Amino acid sequence: MEKYKKFIKPVIYSVVFVFFIIISYRSAKPRYKPENFTDIFNDFSWLGNWPKWLDFPLMQPLNAGFDWLIVKYGLFFEGINNFLLGLYTAMKNSLVGLPWPIVIALVIFITYFASGRKTNTTVMVAFCTFFLGFLSPRYWDKCIMTTCIVIIGMLLCIVVGIPIGIAMARNKKIRNALLPILDLMQTIPSFCYLIPGILLFGLGAVPAIIAIFVYAVPPLIRLTDLGIRLVDKEVIEASEAFGASRKQTLWGVQIPLALPNIMQGINQCTMMSLAMVVIASMIGTRGIGDEVLLGLQQLNVGMATEAGIAIVLLAIIFDRITQSYGEKIQERTQQKKDIKF
Amino acid sequence: MKFLRNLILSFVFAGAMTLTATSANAGCGKVHLGDFDWDSANIHTAIAGYILEKGYGCEVESTKGSTTPIMAALFDQQIDIVTEVWRDNLVQLIEDNLAKGTIIELGINTPSSTQGFYVDKPTADKYGLKSVEDMKSAEIAALFADPEAPGKGRMTSCISGWTCYTINLVKHKVYGLDEFYTNFDPGSGGALDAAIAGGFKKGKPVFSYYWTPTGLMGKVDLVKLEEPKYDQACWDEMTKVVEDIKANGPDVYKDTCACEYVNMSLTKAASTKFASNAKNKPVIDFIRAYSIPTAAVNKALAFYMDESGGDMEATAKYFLSNNAMWKSWVPADVAAKVADTL
Repeated sequence: MEKYKKFIKPVIYSVVFVFFIIISYRSAKPRYKPENFTDIFNDFSWLGNWPKWLDFPLMQPLNAGFDWLIVKYGLFFEGINNFLLGLYTAMKNSLVGLPWPIVIALVIFITYFASGRKTNTTVMVAFCTFFLGFLSPRYWDKCIMTTCIVIIGMLLCIVVGIPIGIAMARNKKIRNALLPILDLMQTIPSFCYLIPGILLFGLGAVPAIIAIFVYAVPPLIRLTDLGIRLVDKEVIEASEAFGASRKQTLWGVQIPLALPNIMQGINQCTMMSLAMVVIASMIGTRGIGDEVLLGLQQLNVGMATEAGIAIVLLAIIFDRITQSYGEKIQERTQQKKDIKF
Repeated sequence: MKFLRNLILSFVFAGAMTLTATSANAGCGKVHLGDFDWDSANIHTAIAGYILEKGYGCEVESTKGSTTPIMAALFDQQIDIVTEVWRDNLVQLIEDNLAKGTIIELGINTPSSTQGFYVDKPTADKYGLKSVEDMKSAEIAALFADPEAPGKGRMTSCISGWTCYTINLVKHKVYGLDEFYTNFDPGSGGALDAAIAGGFKKGKPVFSYYWTPTGLMGKVDLVKLEEPKYDQACWDEMTKVVEDIKANGPDVYKDTCACEYVNMSLTKAASTKFASNAKNKPVIDFIRAYSIPTAAVNKALAFYMDESGGDMEATAKYFLSNNAMWKSWVPADVAAKVADTL
C-alpha cells in the first residue's frame, strides 16, 4: 500500500482534469461542437486552432453567483457599507472642519511623539504637510479625504492582517492554504474587484476601502508571518525552558521581536493603500487621485503633475511617520547592534 | 509644450493599446482607428476594423481611450479614423478643427441617438417623475441620497473627461438641480454602467445621465426626463459657457440658457493627412458609406453582452452575418472577400 501512495495525488488530479474537459464539452454551445462526439477522433482539424468547445464555463456561474450574492446578502453588504461610510464621513467631516493650522499642528504633534522626539523627521513632515495646501488650496480638503480613506483601509488591514499573519506563522496548514489566496490578491487586476465593488457598495469611498484591503493586506500578512518565523529558535527554546506557555511565548517573545518586521509590513501596507486610492478615483472615489485623473483626461500635463507631487508628499508623510515609529520600537525592544568595520 | 503633449498622449495610449495586425495588401497600408471607452463605439470600431482587415487587407490598429485624448490624437494626425464622434457634445472643438483643416467629416454613423437624464421606471411611476422640474424637491432628492454629501441627492453623471460632464454641470445650475443634487463623476465608463446595473439589481432608485445606443439600455428600464425643448440658439449659447468652463474651471460659470440634448446623429471623422492621401480613397469611401440604424446597433450590443462572451470580433462577425446592409458600403469584390471569412 505504501508503494502506491505517491500515485494517489496524480490520479486525483487526472480525474479532475478529465471531469473538467467533460464539463466544458457538455456545456459548449451546439454550434461550436462537432455533430458527433466520435468526430473528434476522425477529424483532427480541431488540433489546429484551440477548439471553441474546449472552453471551461467559468463566466456564467461566476455571474450567477455574483447576482445571488447581491440579492441574498444585499443587507449584509449594506451594513458593512454603512459602517465604513459612517466611519469615513465622521472622520472626514471633523478633519475638514478643523482650521488648517490646527491640522498641521496635529500632524507635527503625532510625528514628534511617534518618532521618539526626532526633530529632523518632524520638520520634514511638517514641511510636506504645509506644502499639500501650498501647492493648490484645492488640494487640502482632497488630501484629507484621501488620508481618511487610507487610514481606514489601513486599520482594516491591521485588524485582519496581523492575526492572520500570526496564525500563518504558527500553523503550516493554514500557511499552505492562504499563500495561493495572497498570490491571487496581489496579482489579480484591480478592476476585477473595483467594478464588482460598485455593484455591492455603490460608487464612492467604500469600494475604495475594500480595494485597499484586497491590495494592501498581503504584504502585511507576509511580513508578520516572516517576522515571527525569523525569531531565533534559541530564544524560543530559552523561554520554553523557563516554563513559558505557548501563549506567553507568543506575546512575550515572538511578537515583540517580530515588531520591526510587522512595522515594515504596516509601512508597506500604507504605501500600497495610497497607490490604490489613486486608481480608485476611476470608480468615483473623491480625493487627490481624481485631480490626476482629470489632468490626464484633459491633457493638462501641469495639473496632473502637480497633483502627482501632492500624492508623493502624502506618501512621504505616511512613510516617515510609520517608519520612524518602527525605528523607535526597534530601539526599545532590541539592543542596538553596532556594525563595526 | 507640443513635445510634452505628444509624450503624454503616447503614455495614455501605451496604457490602453490593442494591436491587431495582419499581412498588408498592396492596396492598403496601415489604418489607425480611434476607439472610446463605451460599447457602441467599440462595436463600430470592431465592424469597420473587420471589413478593413479582411476586405481591404489593411493593417488595422486600434487605440482605446476617453474622448479628450482620442480626439486630440485625431486632430494631431496620430489617429486616422474615428467611427463614432458625439458631434453635438463637441461642436466648438470640431468646428475649430474643421476650420483649421485638421480633420474632415465623413457623415452619419448612427442616425438619431438620444442622451439625457434618466430615472428608473418603478421610481418614476411611483412618484410621477416626468421632467427635471419634478426632481426639484427635498423629498425626491432624499430617494437618491448621496451618502457622501448629507442632505443632497446624487445624480450619476458623465466622467469628467467627457464633455457632457461639463454640459450636465451647466444644466444642473440652469435648471436649479444643483441645490438638490450632486453632479457625481463616476470616474470611468465601466463604473457608470456598474452604478446603474447595481441600482437595478438591488432595486434601488437610479438617477443618472445615460444615452442610447447601449447594450445596458436594452436590459434595464430607464425613463427619460423631459427638459426644455431643444433650440439651436440656446444650445449654442450654452456650448460657449461649457467650453469656457472646460478651459478655465467652474468659477467662470455665467448664467445661460439650457435645453435638452438634441436627438443627435453620431458622425464619423478622419484626419486630413490620412484622407488627403489618394491611396486611402477606397477606405475613406467605405467609411463615408458606413451607417447602421440604432436598432441594429442595440441588437449587436445585446449579442456582445449576453452571448459573445466578451468577444468583439465575434460580435462583428455576428453583425456581418445577420445583416446585408454592409454590402452596399463596399465594392462587390471587397464584400465577397469579407463574406468568405464569415
